[in-house]
Formats: sequence, structure tokens, C-alpha cells
Amino acid sequence: MGMSEAWLLPLLPAGAFVVLTLFGPYLPRKGDWLAIAAIFTTFALTFPIIADLTSAIAEHGPEFGGVTNSIEWMSVPGYLTLNLGVHVDAITVVMLVVVSFVALMVQVYSLGYMKGDSRYGWYYAVISLFVASMLALVLADNFLVLYFAWELVGLCSYLLIGHYSHLRSAAEAAKKAFITTRLGDVGLLIAIILLWRETGTFSIQGVIEAAQAGQIRTEVLTASVFLIFMGAMGKSAQFPFHVWLPDAMEGPTPVSALIHAATMVVAGVYLVTRTLPLFELVAGAQELILAVGLLTTFLSASMGLVMTDIKRVIAYSTLNSLGLMFVALGLGSPAAAMLYLFAHAFFKALLFLGAGSVIHATERQDVSQLGGLWSKMPLTGATFAIGALAMAGLPFLAGFWAKDEILVVATENRAVFALLLLTLPVTAMYMARLFILTFLGEAKEPEAIEHAHDGPPTMSVPLVLLAVLSVVAGFVVFDQVGRAMGFPGGIGEIIFLHEPEVFRFDVAVAIGSTLLVASGLGVGWLIWKERPGLAIIAAIVLKPVHTLLVNKYYLDDLYQAVIDRVVLMASRMLAWFDRNVVNDTIVDGSAQATGFIGYLLKFQQTGRLPNYALAIVIGIVALTLVAFSLK
Amino acid sequence: MQTGYILLATIAVPLLTALALTVIPSRYPNAIRVLAVATGFVLFGLSLYAFFAYQLSSGDQFQFELRWTWIENIGFLGENGITLHLGIDGIGAPMVLLTGIVAFTGTIISWKIDYRNKDYFVLFFVLVAGVFGVFASLDLFFWFFFYELAVLPMYLLIGVWGSSSVFPTFARTKEYSAMKLMLYLVGASVFIFVGIFAVFVEAGIGTFDLPTLYEVEFDENFQKIVFPLFLIGCGVLAGLWPFHTWSPDGHVAAPTAVSMLHAGVLMKLGAFGIIRLGMQLLPEGADFWMPALITLGTVNVVYGAISAMAQTDLKYMIGYSSVSHMGYVLVGLATLNPIGVNGAVLQMFSHGVMTALLFAMVGALYDQAHTRDMSVFGGLAQKMPRFVAFFSIAGLASLGLPGLSGFVAEFNVFVGTFQTYPALGALGILGAAITAVYILRMLSQAFFGPANERWADLKEMSHLEQAAGALLIAFIVFMGVFPSPFVDRIADSVLRIPGVG
Repeated sequence: MGMSEAWLLPLLPAGAFVVLTLFGPYLPRKGDWLAIAAIFTTFALTFPIIADLTSAIAEHGPEFGGVTNSIEWMSVPGYLTLNLGVHVDAITVVMLVVVSFVALMVQVYSLGYMKGDSRYGWYYAVISLFVASMLALVLADNFLVLYFAWELVGLCSYLLIGHYSHLRSAAEAAKKAFITTRLGDVGLLIAIILLWRETGTFSIQGVIEAAQAGQIRTEVLTASVFLIFMGAMGKSAQFPFHVWLPDAMEGPTPVSALIHAATMVVAGVYLVTRTLPLFELVAGAQELILAVGLLTTFLSASMGLVMTDIKRVIAYSTLNSLGLMFVALGLGSPAAAMLYLFAHAFFKALLFLGAGSVIHATERQDVSQLGGLWSKMPLTGATFAIGALAMAGLPFLAGFWAKDEILVVATENRAVFALLLLTLPVTAMYMARLFILTFLGEAKEPEAIEHAHDGPPTMSVPLVLLAVLSVVAGFVVFDQVGRAMGFPGGIGEIIFLHEPEVFRFDVAVAIGSTLLVASGLGVGWLIWKERPGLAIIAAIVLKPVHTLLVNKYYLDDLYQAVIDRVVLMASRMLAWFDRNVVNDTIVDGSAQATGFIGYLLKFQQTGRLPNYALAIVIGIVALTLVAFSLK
Repeated sequence: MQTGYILLATIAVPLLTALALTVIPSRYPNAIRVLAVATGFVLFGLSLYAFFAYQLSSGDQFQFELRWTWIENIGFLGENGITLHLGIDGIGAPMVLLTGIVAFTGTIISWKIDYRNKDYFVLFFVLVAGVFGVFASLDLFFWFFFYELAVLPMYLLIGVWGSSSVFPTFARTKEYSAMKLMLYLVGASVFIFVGIFAVFVEAGIGTFDLPTLYEVEFDENFQKIVFPLFLIGCGVLAGLWPFHTWSPDGHVAAPTAVSMLHAGVLMKLGAFGIIRLGMQLLPEGADFWMPALITLGTVNVVYGAISAMAQTDLKYMIGYSSVSHMGYVLVGLATLNPIGVNGAVLQMFSHGVMTALLFAMVGALYDQAHTRDMSVFGGLAQKMPRFVAFFSIAGLASLGLPGLSGFVAEFNVFVGTFQTYPALGALGILGAAITAVYILRMLSQAFFGPANERWADLKEMSHLEQAAGALLIAFIVFMGVFPSPFVDRIADSVLRIPGVG
């Protein structure tokens, strides 16, 4: 098993999907063991691939470009050849580890969480397809395979978000997610075809090389890059496409963990990381990524402050994190972005699975109904706290190193740096708020927590493992850790744009950011733990702001209005036009006109012989005259 | 090179069945049903054989050729004047397979027909014979003959077994829809008729044999004048905007299996005619007129999709989505490059299978619920999970999801279009996004959400319907995952079309 056999990885869960879909109901336990066996094997198989990659890097140096292996899928000889192929390099390997590990945790956790669900087998089938698609996405060596997997990821998130399809809200959220991301995909598909038209290849590396060699016309490259980014914005829920992600929590909670940590939303980050050399060649492209990332970070951090649904708060924290990753990419540091993605996967999965445990135990997910769970669910509470602190960026948890890496990169751009610092205390504040309102204080509905307890081992083991990783995952920045894991150095040594990025630890930045995070946590503690009245006063004093935030800046309403008033209205008008103008007026009108002419002509048929005789005579005379005049 | 009587069999078997049905007393409706489904199965087997036995890279343009001379060397007819000349190329092969699939599933779906089912199946099989004939004919006379044979039974099938609909703002009787469909299609065939005779006379060699006529180089001006006759004549049947209004109304009024054949196969005859008669006979005419066709085709795509979004009746929605999807076929043909034309033919097959599935599913629902208004349903997924799964798969294929047939076809069309008209290609991709909007809206509204008490009595669709649906899905997935068997056949023949390159 080496890098060239990496195509096997997505096929394993894909096979599980096929078997479970066709025969799931007839298998013992609806086949959940098969799905877990498949993903476990996939996870295990990533290690030989890592070993293969590290030995290749050791041999060829950090410039090692990766291994590609592909077969023909269909071809119009001489005109168009579509290949299925995989490409493995350092970025891919990081993604493979993240995706397969988080998926494994989620699947094990679901054994407990989804127990008794009426569509248990189907859940495992779809989640297997989800993982398979995401693995295919990160392994894709060409844009076609990438798009193929990209759409399947979208489909699976649609199916999983809408898993509780008897709920109107779930059905609507699923639809919203699919349509919003699909709108972005329009851009991606156009970009893929435009780039093919210029270069004659769908290969990602091929396109990048052609672009770097200046073989792509500037205007086409510019358009393509912005269209690619449109696709990434849709999948990664960046402003203005972010509206679907908070609603996506309608799905089962383990699914949210998967969507937020390892699959769906990081696909956009991955795509931009992969194609960053293209963005670099286009003036303004990186600045756009930066601006969108910053805006998303800001909007989401502010909205996270006022939401009361546990999962919704965590969802906004994901937007916050995704924004940060895009900021890193905009600053030209894929190492920082991938590091954050790597660390984020663990603590975000942890947060969602912890929230899942709370929901599972209390059947409530609104913090205004929770509280006082700390003593009832110590394990969940402790692991959740680790996740929340890692998200806030407290030293020396995983989130700290990743966030710090981004801050250090940002020091070169003072405005960006200042804005990033501003979001730190806000993030810390709402994570503190979430933890306090859920686990501490008085229980707001005592009957809800009365019988609450930590989940079964299937649920708590993933929590513990993820908590451990949320503590230690950040250490991959260090040279020694990288070496111990087989990397030739920190993660920046193998993932970079031009030259290896050595981890730079800036003490001033670290202390400054830590102070800000601590102040955010402190203010949060003060407001929601010590002086609960403060939050209410703040909500009253800052009422307009509060209303604005609770209503999500009215963006959802605006979109809804556009859809109802503009899009649907236009479609109704066109349908009316088609029925009344094209059909009833023109089509039926032509039939009626024919009928009317027939009606007029029928008066010529009088039935009287003299009339006909007269017509014949006139006819003969006329023809004779014509004949003579022509002569 | 494959030879044999297989193509003749695809035409003769349904005709003989129609004949045999006439002598079965109508008091044995089950005997009639069994014979019909058995014939459907045989046709499916024959078409499957024709498709897979078709030899790649054999060097010949047509395979399974058969030539029976009917009239020659009399009057204006010379050598091979009118011959029953059958044969398929790589474009005809998937069309024959499509016809076999839809005919077979159509007979299964028609099991439920109670009212005069003998007469129904007689007309049904005459129609099927006509369709097979068109795809296999290499003689203009018989091409036209089979074309009319396929179209005429439609009138009675809709007029007698169809259904009238009353909507809040308008009403459509089945008689109106049948009449409009018939007038349109027969009117359009007049254009084709004139075109055929123009070609016959201009060639001046006294034959209707297509391969012989393909050798003739027609005058450029002649091509420019005659090509529009084929384009409009065949285009009407393919749902070309603005001559499309017969199609949604016809779908809505027709009984389920007839809708399946109508949207699944009959509309493909039009697109097939544009290739066989228009592009292959008159390449320079095609070259001249294609900018018009690609524009109208794009209108089809976008106009159909936007109209579909406003429909509340399931069948009207599918009807307009057919208008939209046939637009991709027209756009693909109009690119006149191998990728686009390849995509068009793929789309003909893909749309045929998936729209047949959609209509089969709507029929399964309508027979129980007696309404097709999607706004009154809700939560059907709990009562009819398989039905909803099948419907969703068809919907996902129609919005171009990778892994299902629609994606392969549309992707080729898009790539082909971008080579010549990037702006129209972008509109085409936007059309696919609009398709996603109306399909997902429909799924969400009608099938998901809380269960509606009014539909507490609905049951899962019957085993027969499930079997038919599963067969159609098998082909949707097959083409979506392994497109090569299709592309290899199609591309080989597309590259032989003069003027495509």
C-alpha cells in the first residue's frame, strides 16, 4: 500500500454505501459494523501512505510534488478525454488523516447517538458515501473528479441535514444548503471548463503549470480564479453564501460534527489551498479571499454572541474559524490554513459531539433551557470545556498554535492583524458564554437535567480521544514533533507555496493574543456567571444591535424576499406568458384564425349553379388574359 | 460488422404482437397484459443485444444492415429507389436501447390499464414499432413512414385513455391536448416531407436510400434553403422553442406509459431526425443555421427551467423540465463539434430514461391520490419511502448530479458549447442550477416535512412499478458511472458526421 494505491481509500466506504443501500435492511444491525469497518480500514491505510510520502520527501526533498495515478473514464478520441485519477502529496495526506479520523469518531459515536433511529441503516449508508466523496475530493488529481466528488459531498450533506425529513425545518434547511452551495458550484463548473478550454487539460497540476508558464490568457485566468472562489465560498459558507451553515444543524448532531470539522465546509478551504498558485497570479484575488475571510469572521463572531441554540453557536464558531483559514490563505500561507484546519477538525468535532451528548441526555438544545449539567455530565462537561478553550485559543491547546500561526503571518499587514486581534476576545466570550449557560449555574429546567448522564462508551470514547487531540494536535508545528511523526519538520516544511515555512513563534504576539483571549473569557465569566443581570442590561441598552444580531443582519430575510418577490415572481410571469401569450394567443389564435377564414370562405359555397357557372367563366377569362399578356 | 435481422425483429415483433392482440378476445384482459409485457421483455432483450453486440471500430458506418428492395427502376425511381434499408450507427444504437427500455417499462406500467386494454396495447405497439423503425431506417421513404406510424397512435392514446385537467386559472381537456399535439406533429411532418422530396429531386439519382444520398454533394444554396425544413420539422417534435407548447399539455393529458414514451422516446425522434436528415445530408446548411439553433436551444434551457419553477402540477413541472432538457440536446447538436454532439446524444438517452422514470413515478402517485398538485402533498416520504427514493433519484439525475446519467451528458454539452459560445454555455450551466431549485423545492414541498393526514391511506407503489423504476434507475446509474460503452459507440459515429469537427 503506497501513494499510488490511494484510490482504494474512497472505494472502501463507497463499497459500504453500495452494500448498505442495497442490502442494509437484511444485514445484522443494519450493517453499521460494515460502515465502521470500512472507515476504520481507510483510516488505518492512511498510515502506510504517510510513510510512503515521508520516505519520498526524504528522498526528493520538500519540493517533492506528489504521486499521480489515473485511468481513462471516457473519451471522444482526439477531442476530449476524461480521466479518473488520484494525486497524493502533503496537503492530501493531512486531509486524509483529518477526514478518516473524524469520520471514524463520528461513526462510532453514532452507534450510541443514533440508536433506535427509524432510518439507522440509511444513515450509515449515507455517511459512508459522504466520507467516500470527501476522500475522493481531496485525492482528485483533476478538476473533473474534484467536481464529481464536490457535488456528491453536497448531495450527502443534503441527505444528512434532511435526515429527520418529517420535520419541515429539516427539509427546508437541507434544500437551502443544497441550493446555496449549488449556486457557488455554477461558478466552479464554469471555471473548470474555461481552464480546460485554455489548457486542454483538467489536471489540477497541469492547469497550474500552464498558468505559471503564462499559457492562459489573463482575462480568462482572472475570471476562472474568481469563479473557483465562488465555488469555495459556497461550500465553505463564506459571506454572502454563509446562510446555509447555521441552518444545517437541523441534521443529527454527529452529522454536524462531520460537516463542520472534516467534510463539507473544509472542502472550500482545501480547494483554495490546492489552487492557491492560480490565485497568486491574479491581481486582487488574494485580497478578495482576505476580505471575504475577515468579513465572515467578524459577522459570525458577532452573531455567535447572541444565539441561544447550542448547535447554532457552534455553527457560528465554525464560520468564524473558516473565515480565519481564508484569511491565512489570503495572506499566502497555506501552511497556516492547513494547520488551523487540522487543529480545528478535532476541537470542532469535539464541540459538536459534546453538544450531541447534551442533547441526547436532555432532549433540549437551547441554552435558555439548560444549565447545571456539570455535576450530571462531568466527562461531557470537561471535554466540552477543552474544546471551547481550544476554540477560544487558550495556550497551549491546539487552537492556540494554529491561531497564532495565522496571527504571525498577519503581522505583515497591520490592518488585518488589528482586525484579527479584535475578534479574539469576542470568540472567547461566546465560547465562555456557551459553556457557562450549558453546564454551570442553576438548571433553568430542572426536570430536563434530572436524569441526564454521560453517554455510553461508544459516545464517551470519541469525546476523550478528540479532547486529547484538541490538546496535542497543535504540536505538529514543532520541528521535533514533525520529525517524530515522520515529517521532515513542522507542518510548514511540507505544505507551502514557494518555500518551506519554518514555524515562527513570536512571544509578543503570543502574549498579546493570550491576554485578549483571557480578557474575553473573563468578561464572559463576569457577564454570564457572576453578574447574570449584565447580559440582560446589555441586551436592553444595545437593543438595536442585539436585534440586528439575533436577526442575523437580516440577510436570511433579504435572500428570502429576493427569492419570493423576484425569482418566483419572474418565473410565474414567464409561466403566465407561456400559457396565455404563446399558447392561448399565438397557438390557439392561429387555429382560430384558420377557422375564421374557413368560415368566411364557406359563403362562397352557395349551392346555386349560376354562381358556379359565373365563377368558371370569370376564371377562364382571367386565365386567357394572363396567357395572352405573357405571350 | 454485425449483420442479421435484429432490427427487422424490433419492428416486426411489436407489429405482430399488435396483430395477435386483435384476435385475443377482450374478455381476457390478463392474457392481453401478459402478452404485452412479454413482448416488452422481448423488445428489451433485442435492443440490449443490438446495443452490446454493436461492434466498435468495425470500420463500417452502419451495422445490422438489411436491404429489401421494394420498388426500383420504375418511373422516376432508379436503382434502389425505395428499399426497406435498415441499419444503425453508434447514434442509433443507444436510441434503440432507449426505446427497448422505455417500451418494456411502459408495458409494465400499463398493467393497470383497465379500460379497453386490448385497443390500448394495439396502439401502443404500433407506436413502438414506428419508433424502432425511425431509429433503424436508412431510407427516407421508410423513415417518414415509420415517423408517421409513431406519431398517429398518439392521438387516440391521449384522446381515449388520457385525462382532462382543471386548474384554478385554466383548463385543458384531453381532446384539446391530443388535437394540438397531432396538428403540431403532422404539421411539422409536412416540412420534413417537402424536405425529403427536395433532396430526392435535387440529387436526381432516383433513390431514397440515405447512405447513397450522403455521398451526394448538394449545392450550398440548396442546403441553406432546405435545412430549415428539417430543422423546424424535426425541431417541433424535439420541443424546439417556440413550438413547444404541444409538449407540456400533451404530457399532462396522456396516460402514464404514453407520457413515458412521448417524453422519453418520441421527442428524441425529432433530435435524431435533425442529425440523420439535417446534419448528415446537408452539412453546409447545418453550418449556416446552427447559430439560430444554439440560440433557440439556450432559450429552451432557460425558459423551460424558469417556467418549470412556477408549476404546481407535477406533470406540468416535468413537462417544462423536458422542454428545458431537450434544450441541452439542441444546444449540443448546434455546437457542431464532436464533444457537444456527443453530449447531445448522451442527453437524448439520459433524458429519455430519467423522464420515463419521473412520469412513471407521477403516475404511481396519481393513481392513488387522484391529484398531482404538489402543494397539497407533504410528508409522503414516511408513507412511501421507495417511491420518494425513486422520484428523488430521477430528480437528482435531472439536476445533473455526478454519478447519474444527466451529469455526463450535460458536462459534454457544456464543454462543447464553451468551445464556440462560452456565454451560452454559462447560461446552460445556470439552467442546471435553476433545475436544482425547482426539483428540490418540489421534493421538499411534496415529499418531506410532516405527514399530511389527508394522505394517511396512501400505500407504497406496487411491485410492478418498483420493478420498472428499478430497471430505469439501473440504466441511469450505469451511464452515470460507466459512460464509456455509450460514448465509444456515439463518438465513433459523431466523428463521421460531415461538418462536425
